[in-house]
Formats: sequence, C-alpha cells, structure tokens
Amino acid sequence: MCKSCGCHISPDTDKSTTRASKHDNSKIVDVHKSLLEANRRQAEKNRHHIEAMGAVAINMISSPGSGKTTLLEATIDRLGDRLRIGVIEGDIETERDAERIRKKGVPVVQLTTGGACHLDAPLVHKGLHELEALAHEKSGPFFDLIFIENVGNLVCPATFDLGEHRRIVLLSVPEGSDKPAKYPAVFSTADLFLITKTDLIKYFDFSVKEAVSEAKRIKPSLESMEISSKTGDGLDEWCEYLESLCN
Amino acid sequence: MHELSLVQGLLGQLESLAGQHGASRILKVRVSIGEESCIVEDSFRFGFDAIKTESSLTERAELQIQKVPGSDLMLMQVEME
Ligand SMILES: Nc1nc2c(ncn2[C@@H]2O[C@H](COP(=O)(O)OP(=O)(O)O)[C@@H](O)[C@H]2O)c(=O)[nH]1
Ligand SMILES: [Mg+2]
Ligand SMILES: [Zn+2]
Repeated sequence: MCKSCGCHISPDTDKSTTRASKHDNSKIVDVHKSLLEANRRQAEKNRHHIEAMGAVAINMISSPGSGKTTLLEATIDRLGDRLRIGVIEGDIETERDAERIRKKGVPVVQLTTGGACHLDAPLVHKGLHELEALAHEKSGPFFDLIFIENVGNLVCPATFDLGEHRRIVLLSVPEGSDKPAKYPAVFSTADLFLITKTDLIKYFDFSVKEAVSEAKRIKPSLESMEISSKTGDGLDEWCEYLESLCN
Repeated sequence: MHELSLVQGLLGQLESLAGQHGASRILKVRVSIGEESCIVEDSFRFGFDAIKTESSLTERAELQIQKVPGSDLMLMQVEME
C-alpha cells in the first residue's frame, strides 16, 4: 500500500487444496481463509507504524452523540500543552468533527467512509499517513497520543481492529444503563468503559450500578469511569489514565 | 451495512481463486460466520445475492452459511467450474 513506512500488505499465500467434485467438470477448492485476516494484518502494521511515530493509539467507540468529540475537545484543553495529540476522525460523511478538533489547534484528519458503518485498518492506515504529513509541517511526525474517533455505532466497530493500543467504549446517561447487556460484543473487546454525561443523571433513571455490573459480567476485567465533559467531573481521572499510557 | 463491504472482499477472493484455478463459474461458496463476529447472516446473504449478479463469474453462485463459535468470518470452500 505504501512504501514510505514499509506497511505493505503482504501477498496471500495460497494454502488451498483442490479436488474434483462429483460433477464432471467442476472442482471443489478448500480455502479455510479468514475474510477478516486482511484487516487484522493491516491493523498489526498500523500498530507498528503508530509505535514508530512514538505514540499510543486509542479507538473510541460509541453510539452517535455519546460525547466522543466533546470529550476529545475537553481532553485537548487539559493535556494539549503537555502531550502531542493527534486525532483521526471517522464519519460516514462531513468534515464537521475534524473542524471542531482543528479549532483546538491539534493535527486532525477526517476519514469519511462513504456509507460504511465503521472504520477499518486500511482506512486508518491512510489516516496515519495524512496525520504524519500534517504534523511534519509543524513539529515533526511524532506524537504521544493518537485518538481515533470511530463512526458512531455500538455494534460493527467491534469487529475491526484498527491497530489501536486501547479500545474505549463510551455510553452516555441518556442512552440507558441496559446497553452493555444489549451490545455485548463491543464491551467484551473494550479496555475501558466510560459513562459520559453524568451531569444528566438527575434527569434519567440511569443506574451506574447496573451499567457497570452488566459490563463486568461481559468482561470481568473491564474498568469503568464516570465523566462529564460539561462539568469536568471525572476528567482528572481520565487524564491521569491517558498520561499513564504515554509513560 | 458492513456486511456489504465484507461481501465485496469475498467476491474479490472468489475472483482471484477462479483465476488461479482457471474456472469461469462459481457454483457454491461455503462460508462460516462466528457467533460473536457481529456479522448478521441475513444481511450477509442479502449482500451476496445483490452483488453476485454483477459478474458472470458469480451470478449463479449459491451461498451456504455455517454458524460457528468464535468471532471470525471464514471462506471455507468453493465449488467452481
Ligand atoms: N449534558 C452534557 N452534554 C454533553 C456532554 N458531552 C457531550 N454532550 C452533548 O452531546 C451532544 C453530542 O456530543 P458529541 O461530542 O458530538 O458526540 P459524538 O457523536 O459521540 O462525537 C452534543 O450536543 C454535546 O454538546 C456532557 O458531558 N454533558
Ligand atoms: Mg463525533
Ligand atoms: Zn455494520
């Protein structure tokens, strides 16, 4: 795919076996090959690529509107002068989220999937190169932290490794505390569970206890945090978590 | 929705397999879908049937789906002529 970083997708080795079928001129080929394998291989390369940029990458997954972009804005306000942050925004259409992040003065790349409901590793690979090129003009192609905001969707992104180091799932209070039980796949693959918009908890019958215990039932080691980007509650803990990843 | 892009990947595989084996028609395609893969069997089939007609190689191909444990999507076997 690209020469500059050596992240070239290696050609497939054909392990298929063939035999004649009962029909005269047809044959049966045993393939046994993963159709997700190409994505996984590219994700592995992305991970190396990100490490070569000096960074740790975070894949942020949630439904549309759970507060991913708002949290990124608040995070840049708090950590932007201490950490070199880059952002890859994934959306089906528009540059809007990238524009919001650009106003904060950090390098940002917008990826539009043109309909697809998730980012995949080849697309993120392209984003990494664009991010590198952007940063190069400024301070050199190095980062501490790269955020990848996935397309708003609590289902499909779970299937696609992007090459991230940490996968974070966000659930906002208005969505309801039953969502971990309803969308187990994304919770089972996450490294951290963020309950967002906790300033709204007085208006909704959201049970933090239910959300956390359901998430733990799906993945016992899953840690959680409660945050509000609006009031700043919980952002200290969140920022400490991020800084600890960069050390 | 993402089933469609996975189906496109599958059709690409079928094309190169047919090339390797000098086949001009795909008759049967056996695929396994992991229970935890977040891939919806019906959507996958719908996508396959929608796109297969775009090429004479696959227009008559029959898709057989097997649900298996795990989270992978595998192309298991192809019958061609
Ligand atoms: N009350 C409240 N609203 C929030 C909070 N975080 C985000 N929002 C609002 O939720 C809406 C969607 O936020 P956005 O960050 O665009 O969500 P995204 O689609 O996940 O990126 C916006 O109107 C935000 O202002 C929060 O902590 N509290
Ligand atoms: Mg957003
Ligand atoms: Zn999807």
